[in-house]
Amino acid sequence: MADGPLRGVRILDLTHVWAGPLGTRILADLGADVIKIEAPTSRGPREGARFNFSGWIGGEPGDEPWNRVAVFVKLQRNKRSVAIDLKTDAGRETFLGLVAVADVVIENFSAEAMPALGLGYDALSRANPSIIYMAMPGYGKDGPYRDWVAFGPTVEAMSGLSHVLGYGPEEPRNTAMALMDPIAAVNAAGAIVTALREREATGRGSFLEMSLHESGVVFCGPWLVEHQLGRNVERIGNRHPAMAPHGVYPSRGEDAWVAIACRDDRDWRGLCSLIGAGLDPSASLAERRMGCDAIDAKISAWTAARTREEGAVALQAAGVPAGPVNVTPDMTADPQVRERGFFVPLEPGPTPVPGNPIKMAGIGSGDWTPCPRLGADNAAILRDWLDYDDERIAEMEREGVLADKPPP
Amino acid sequence: MDRVLELGGYAAGYCGRLFVQAGCDVVRVETGERPPAWVSDEAMDLYLHAGKRRIRTDDPRLIAELASRADVVVAEGHTADAVEALGFDAWDAPVRAAITPFGRTGPKRNWQASTNVLLAMGGYTYIMGDPDRAPLTLPGHYPEFQSGAFAYAAANACRLAGESEVIDIGMLEVVMALSQFTTVMWHCDGAIRERHGSDFYHVVPTNLFRCADGWAHINIVPGFWDPFAAFLDLPELVLDERFGTNELRRQNRHALHAIIDAAVAPMTRAEIRRRAEDCRIPVGVVQSLDDVLADPHLAVRGFWQSVHGGESAPVRSPRRAWRIDGQTPPDRDLALLETPAAEARDG
Repeated sequence: MADGPLRGVRILDLTHVWAGPLGTRILADLGADVIKIEAPTSRGPREGARFNFSGWIGGEPGDEPWNRVAVFVKLQRNKRSVAIDLKTDAGRETFLGLVAVADVVIENFSAEAMPALGLGYDALSRANPSIIYMAMPGYGKDGPYRDWVAFGPTVEAMSGLSHVLGYGPEEPRNTAMALMDPIAAVNAAGAIVTALREREATGRGSFLEMSLHESGVVFCGPWLVEHQLGRNVERIGNRHPAMAPHGVYPSRGEDAWVAIACRDDRDWRGLCSLIGAGLDPSASLAERRMGCDAIDAKISAWTAARTREEGAVALQAAGVPAGPVNVTPDMTADPQVRERGFFVPLEPGPTPVPGNPIKMAGIGSGDWTPCPRLGADNAAILRDWLDYDDERIAEMEREGVLADKPPP
Repeated sequence: MDRVLELGGYAAGYCGRLFVQAGCDVVRVETGERPPAWVSDEAMDLYLHAGKRRIRTDDPRLIAELASRADVVVAEGHTADAVEALGFDAWDAPVRAAITPFGRTGPKRNWQASTNVLLAMGGYTYIMGDPDRAPLTLPGHYPEFQSGAFAYAAANACRLAGESEVIDIGMLEVVMALSQFTTVMWHCDGAIRERHGSDFYHVVPTNLFRCADGWAHINIVPGFWDPFAAFLDLPELVLDERFGTNELRRQNRHALHAIIDAAVAPMTRAEIRRRAEDCRIPVGVVQSLDDVLADPHLAVRGFWQSVHGGESAPVRSPRRAWRIDGQTPPDRDLALLETPAAEARDG
């Protein structure tokens, strides 16, 4: 567990996939005691994951492949794990016991999943009136879309983002990376600290609800306001409505690129002085936008003769925002990132995992703990939080209510 | 409720927006310079700054005085030195958050940045767009808004604990922290994640498909394969050996995409949504901005709040992403306020 300002805050984390676990990772990095409440099958079958497109932590599945799925492990640092079957009476009773001494419960199931288990907000708030319950359904707990099946990519299309993202008017694109999830994740962390502060003032628990869909629409807010003001919001590829030139330009090497932006006339003059090529340093933004095809061609000729790093460094020296289009080895090798110790070699391998972008004296990665094994903390949590004795815990293990591995 | 002082661009502005929506008193200092935005200044002000008290000043003594009366200061600079030049280190507030493109330390702390540069360096751009074309940058203000949201969470955590802290948030690290599986894919599998247009690639079919009046995004993880065949009105797909597993669907993606293209092309978006609801499969349709503004679901859920400023008619702006105890936004218009310095100082 990490130390940090949220030390002492107990969070029961029932989330899965990306948005929820990423949100609770932020809270765990800030010092919260996050207990991952997992089904014994939550990490996949015993012989290996159903999906594994990002490899195994350490490079091999090992003896416990369910504990080594990289895309799962990277989201679980600083958490502890209790694997418990909530479909059993004993499992539910124990879970409600944990709720009674916790501060927060967070889940991102469909709208009906928790009530169907008898574990909706009403039941949890009876167990603990000061509990903060956060639900993260795809489209919310009410409204006409409440029962729609939702994943990040499908919600993205509904949010308005696909209206603006793409190569041109007839070529919309999705991010293909479920962008609504990381947006919801960071908002979830903010929502929970907000509710904790409100509870501090009122003494009462609360029901928080945040849908993937609405998180995404919030991100699109400026375009929605602009549209109502009667101004056109267009899909313009890598160009920008208020900057020119602005784009992603080819660099020397295969599929190598550099991103460049001229925020103002000063940046433009810096670019002209570096590249030359007959570019007019006195051209206004309107003139640059008008002539952007010709300008982009001249910039491309210059960037294509240099590596992405060479191009970016030269442009930065001229005061122009520029950066290489990085892939992972570039990211972890970046001297800026290395000096700030951003990637944390916490997991076996060792596997560098992105750290927390919140830097402050009260938190650091020195005391961080890696992803717990499935059910690794069953006994410790039930003993410490609920005073269960060893015999009771052993009985729950024998009956399959608690587990530390998936069923055969 | 906290008193919050906000200075800088769209990251600080987004952070301040969250504080406003939590009921805090937010004073925004504007120095006259503003970075280029994806929308007009008017739209950005209405979206970010409604409900704040704003003063225009670059007087360092006044700013320091305002900071000394604040519980939280959020200051954004275009470089580390720019934040320092504001006097940030000398301000006296319990929680001070600095947001800069690359963070306050390190060899690139004073590099110049823009949204597309941060997305590129942070690993997002390379994986977005078509494989045979330039990568696509993400429109809008993702690094800024996400950085503002991180600052909000961190500052509130410190306030909850009653701790004084100086917070340093680098937007590049924010982007990197929010990578999906790009980094572990390299370190654990030795693979560079590539871009495949709108195709998620690893789970098939997950892609945008053109329909009669627009586009639909279909995301069929294996558990939804059988109902998806019903959605298409092609039950024979369930028995088609080319598509029996996700791995087979990956291998035969082009053939499958062609079948879906043909089936979806004559459907309208409304029909697609009806069918998806009936078959309980994850499908979204590409909504225009008009569609989103008219979305009945958002309306029923009290998602919008009315904001106005100056001569403009009120517009609808999204509330914050979450609701507490079902609360909808306050039943009043939020106004852009221009506040005399003395009033901002005295509250």
